[in-house]
Amino acid sequence: MNVAFLYTLVGVGLFCLGLYALIVQAHLLRKILAFNIMGSGIFLVLVALAKRSGNAIPDPVPHAMVITGIVVAVSATALALTLILKLTTETGKAELPDEGGE
Amino acid sequence: MEALSLLQWSFDGLLGLSLLWLAWQALVCTDLFKAVVLFIAFGLLMALTWVRLAAPDIALAEAAIGAGLTGALLLSALARSRVIQANGESLLNVPLAARKLQFRWLVAIILLIVAAGLGYAVLGLPPEAAGLSTEVAANLTLSGVGNPVTAVLLNFRAYDTLLEMAVLLLALLAVWSLGGLPQREAVTDPVLDSLVRLLIPVLILVSAYLLWVGADAPGGAFQAGSVLSAAGVLLLLAGWRLPLRLAQRPLRFALVAGTGTFIAIAVLTLISTGRLLEYPPAQAGTLILILEAVATISIGVTLAALFQGASPVHKEKQ
Amino acid sequence: MRVESSTLMAAIFLDVPWAVVLILLPLAGALVCFISPAVAKSVVLLTVFANTVSVAGLAWQVMENGVYRHAVGGWGAPLGIDLYADGLSLLMLLMTALVGLAVSVYSTAYFDQPQAARFWPLWLLLLTALNALFLAADIFNIYVTLELMGLSAVALSALSGGKDALGGAMRYLLATLLGSLLFLFGVALLYHGFGSVDIIILGQRIVASPIVWAALALITAGLTLKTALFPLHFWLPPAHASAPAPVSAVLSALVVKASFYILLRLWLEFFAPLGVEDIGTLLGLLGAAAVLWGSVQALRQSRLKLLVAYSTVAQIGYLFLAFPLAVGSNVTAWNAVACLALSHALAKAAMFLVAGNLLRFGGHDRIADLDRVVQRLPLTVAAFALAGMSIMGLPPSGGFVGKWLLLEAALIQGRWDLAAVMMIGGLMAAGYVFKVLGFAFTQANIPQKSKAVPATMEWAALLLAVAAVLLGFLAVPLLALVGMGMPFGSSEVGP
Repeated sequence: MNVAFLYTLVGVGLFCLGLYALIVQAHLLRKILAFNIMGSGIFLVLVALAKRSGNAIPDPVPHAMVITGIVVAVSATALALTLILKLTTETGKAELPDEGGE
Repeated sequence: MEALSLLQWSFDGLLGLSLLWLAWQALVCTDLFKAVVLFIAFGLLMALTWVRLAAPDIALAEAAIGAGLTGALLLSALARSRVIQANGESLLNVPLAARKLQFRWLVAIILLIVAAGLGYAVLGLPPEAAGLSTEVAANLTLSGVGNPVTAVLLNFRAYDTLLEMAVLLLALLAVWSLGGLPQREAVTDPVLDSLVRLLIPVLILVSAYLLWVGADAPGGAFQAGSVLSAAGVLLLLAGWRLPLRLAQRPLRFALVAGTGTFIAIAVLTLISTGRLLEYPPAQAGTLILILEAVATISIGVTLAALFQGASPVHKEKQ
Repeated sequence: MRVESSTLMAAIFLDVPWAVVLILLPLAGALVCFISPAVAKSVVLLTVFANTVSVAGLAWQVMENGVYRHAVGGWGAPLGIDLYADGLSLLMLLMTALVGLAVSVYSTAYFDQPQAARFWPLWLLLLTALNALFLAADIFNIYVTLELMGLSAVALSALSGGKDALGGAMRYLLATLLGSLLFLFGVALLYHGFGSVDIIILGQRIVASPIVWAALALITAGLTLKTALFPLHFWLPPAHASAPAPVSAVLSALVVKASFYILLRLWLEFFAPLGVEDIGTLLGLLGAAAVLWGSVQALRQSRLKLLVAYSTVAQIGYLFLAFPLAVGSNVTAWNAVACLALSHALAKAAMFLVAGNLLRFGGHDRIADLDRVVQRLPLTVAAFALAGMSIMGLPPSGGFVGKWLLLEAALIQGRWDLAAVMMIGGLMAAGYVFKVLGFAFTQANIPQKSKAVPATMEWAALLLAVAAVLLGFLAVPLLALVGMGMPFGSSEVGP
């Protein structure tokens, strides 16, 4: 079952890559991409570790959690994108307005 | 046998590395359009990974929602921002991080340490653990469906699904409350038109199939709903708009139907058994099917409406 | 006959599953408001009133039958999800109900029609999320309620529509999403480490191991970001200051307390049995920094809403001071947290509603230009003065009782440093409260054109502030309520 751990580490890597991009990049659309990749990383950790169980059928509860997570992620993305577009309409830039820094 | 295991390991290793590489490229690519396309490719590769990890339900959801709809939302946002910034600089080619080099190195080092710590913690887990699969398997026959993931989503942990449908509805309410956005440039394309004519019936059939088969095989309301929303997105792209007499009350009813039915069933079960969402085992399968059917329609309409962005009867004047 | 029918009614009243009503009712109300905006106002008022009644019903149930646990779906943890209500949950639910009632009444007069139609469903969904969160016993369920709460709070913050509101809402969205993701990662690790997401079961199974440290680090980081603990508070002042007044009230009073509540719960169930005094010390240190930094920043503000927002940052710091002070079976520090949380919610909501009144009155919220409002809006200024009493910690307000208990806990353990921080914080709070009150008496340099403020808005603010002060008198029954089910003594054995 070591392949599960391989994918778990990939998930951790995705999470950290996304977190790096989130902190370092200023463009809001990229931050949204970063959030989605972080989310995918966490889902990968959840599902990969679920494959540890000895049965042929993996643990379904993390699968259900991930499906819930995907729907929540698309909801958040849709809201975020609309907010970004409104902000761009108002300020002309797709970055956080300077207000005491970030 | 060893050759097979070596093959599997190299496949998995390659898949894992590709995931990391694609994600990195999507995050640091200078051209935003290219970044979004890479992200969609990443989503599809994730769907492949889910299949590899024996999670076909998630693979369906990821392909439809995670890669498909999210990608559509991102591309639509890019297109609209081009309209917004028609006078100014294009949103597409924007220089990367506006941060100092030392700051980026500091963050990178800290995150490397965090990743190492998390990796060490995760590797310390026991290599075999059943989690809740034994409990699920033991109660599966009582749940009314044969697919364990559907059983968890719509019976054992149905309360989470109720709240999740509320989150989806909330996202739409929030997007509508933010007001109108510049419309994408209308496109008349004969290829698109014939594709739409061909694909819409297919998508509706696929959606119905996923809904029906989700009881005992991979599938279910979310997957079916997202395929239905893909049909909706195609229609919207081809220039179709909801007729005005359907755009007020009927649309709103369609949007709340899923959550509303959920609440109705919740209240019914509460009154009859005293416990929230406790289905009588004999009717569990039927109740779940009803829930899933209405939820499919709601999810489809909601996701398509999220893609459209503004309420159909939105007035520009506040 | 009379006695029989009243006990019969009491029995029926006691049998209603109030916890479930608390969750389903606002959700259903939100759907109705969305479908039919014409009846939205009446639906909302009915819902928040019924919400308050339901909290009372649940409180009675817990008093009669002990801690309330509801196995949703009949399955029970770990397979299913449980709802759970003890004294601490009840305190939070009561806080939500009272502030929710006042803010709803206020909002009927505050918003004009197109904005009101957008406000009501979002507000009821936020209320659903808050109730569901305070009743949750399952950490993945908590994640979903956190997302529901966060997204609705962001949508509400952006309602005003201008550049400031959108920028504040964007910052808020980024912070809340990051916090939720960190929390979710912690949940994933805990599930795979111990095979359940139920809080009680996890509390029984948790043992010190790298996976637990990783999970708790992630969860703490996520929740402190959502609670705006210094130095992760950067998102709060812009978001709370630029949102519409009733939204700011709910954000500062309720939403930040929700993530604090989760942190407190998990601290009591997971951290404390593991013996992590170091994290407690760290949280206390950050809390102290929040008190000092927030108060200093509040003193420097020239706009009222920003002043009140920085005051929130400072007051949240007080809540975190309790972590290093809570030792063994002495619950004084936690009782202080309960009093502080409730009184801050009432007082801060009142302050933001006052800011809304002043904004409606003069068209701005610049402190220096408050033009003799004490004469023209006496109720509003009285509300601010009473709310300020609680924030400063003057007797007999609820804030005084909370700060007194916290001070007592600090002095008993010889923590003179924390006691000094509390005193300095109190002095600075007095500073910024009196700054505003002082300007309320003076005439502005340029006379301002003023608009009338509806009586509803003034009375809503005043009643909240009066409640914050009266809380001091009700401290004893309040602490008895909080103690039901021994939430603070639950580190030894589950209920």
